[in-house]
Amino acid sequence: MSGQKDEAAEGPRFVDPELVALQGGRLQLKGGCCKSCGALSFPKGQVCTQCLSLEIDDKILSGEGELYSYSRVHMAPKGWDVPYTVGYVDLAEGIRIFAHIDESASPVQIGGRVWLGEGRVGTAPDGAILKSYLFATVAGGRT
Amino acid sequence: MSTVHVLGTGAIPFRKYPEKTLAEIGWPALREAMLEAGVRADDINAVYCGTALGGMLAGQRVAKALGISGMAIVNVENACSSSSSALAQAWMAVKSGACDIVAVIGVEKLTKFGGGTLPLEREDWEVNQGMVMPALYAMRAKRYMHEFGLTEAQLAQVSVKAHDHGALNPNAQIQKRVTLEEVMASRMVAEPFTLWHCCPTGDGAAALIIGSEKAARKFGKGRVRIAASEVTSGKYTNGYRDMTFPELTVRGAHEAYEMAGIGASDIDVAEIHDAFTIAELMYYEAFGLCERGGAYDLLASGATSLGGRVPVNPSGGLLSRGHPVGATGAVQAVEIVRQLEGRAGKHQVEGAKVGLTHATGGGIAGFDHGACSIHVFTL
Repeated sequence: MSGQKDEAAEGPRFVDPELVALQGGRLQLKGGCCKSCGALSFPKGQVCTQCLSLEIDDKILSGEGELYSYSRVHMAPKGWDVPYTVGYVDLAEGIRIFAHIDESASPVQIGGRVWLGEGRVGTAPDGAILKSYLFATVAGGRT
Repeated sequence: MSTVHVLGTGAIPFRKYPEKTLAEIGWPALREAMLEAGVRADDINAVYCGTALGGMLAGQRVAKALGISGMAIVNVENACSSSSSALAQAWMAVKSGACDIVAVIGVEKLTKFGGGTLPLEREDWEVNQGMVMPALYAMRAKRYMHEFGLTEAQLAQVSVKAHDHGALNPNAQIQKRVTLEEVMASRMVAEPFTLWHCCPTGDGAAALIIGSEKAARKFGKGRVRIAASEVTSGKYTNGYRDMTFPELTVRGAHEAYEMAGIGASDIDVAEIHDAFTIAELMYYEAFGLCERGGAYDLLASGATSLGGRVPVNPSGGLLSRGHPVGATGAVQAVEIVRQLEGRAGKHQVEGAKVGLTHATGGGIAGFDHGACSIHVFTL
């Protein structure tokens, strides 16, 4: 954990701000949708893998999904707050998202529903808090 | 087109060699292979060297120590499949008639990174979000356990079997048996994997001299033939994938079996990519050694242990022999050749005539794995 002073000086940073967008004050996942053929991408592609078009629109992805699988990671490179839980979340539009999973409300379950949020995932070398999008379980477990 | 024969093999004990250079780790394996084959530097038409993290011109650095230079020396990086992909390139060079005798090297020095999980490419967005190799395999394990009812204690038995085998292999990095209790009580890495579910990091090298039918006759070597050589990549998708059934190994296995004119039931011995315990079980199914969901029963039956119907990873596999990434494909090939030639020592599979090697890997977003290479060896 980093010192309070560093955190105050730097402020939290997103691991990869390109993956998210703010819409109506809420964090959303930002994918891409090919203007020519409609193929979806996440992260938003620079080129369409289906038709090679370079015209890709932003596409806000759904904020809930089903947990395909997960693991609680106890050994990781420096910078991540271990232990942390990661998982693959399947969205209704057919995209699978790798994400940190916040299971503070209830333990994760494969097949359970999880909701998009944001939170602390690590600490940068300069002491700044690293945030990212994540998916969270809800109180009461599987819904 | 010529048949392709293995004229000589070499491998060093897989250990930690922090004081040695990559070239110092590599040349003793190549020297042994050359001495077994009876070839000299001048006889070698081309060199293919597989290393994932060894840096530029690794093949030249190893070869020059033995006076091998002046021919094509090509370095192949394909993650865990680096030296098996190098073998595939060499196989093609001989098969096509372009070369008579080719050297293959697999060499890696992971101790230069200190310890911990393998350094992955941060440019990959999943890696940048906290993906590590144990977590990737752990998610496969969790899903497999969910779908097929596999328990943690059952999964841990893969590690027990691997170390039973590795204890018999003087070249293995870990030559220590472990109990089920030890596996389950060791330090947690990524749930459900404790440390004993994960291959160790270390250093190693292996080499082969392969050649045409003509070369085999000339040097009086080459009883073992490489009947199939296959390299493939995973199929990219940002959508759903079945993580319990690795598509690229399933596809690669079909292609390799077809090329060799064999089926799964013909395999007498196999060295497969057990980087983590779950991998061995999933690959039993991917190679058709058993039905979907039947992997634990196959393991528990003893069929894949030494003395069983189809011993898998008699060397100890990645879990026990070790997994210096780029050296793995070559050392698997050396192991299988020596098995078929009846000189594997204490971990010999009696009467083996058809053997299989399989190295696959690379943590990259959107793929089961980046690469997969499969070879079939026959007597």
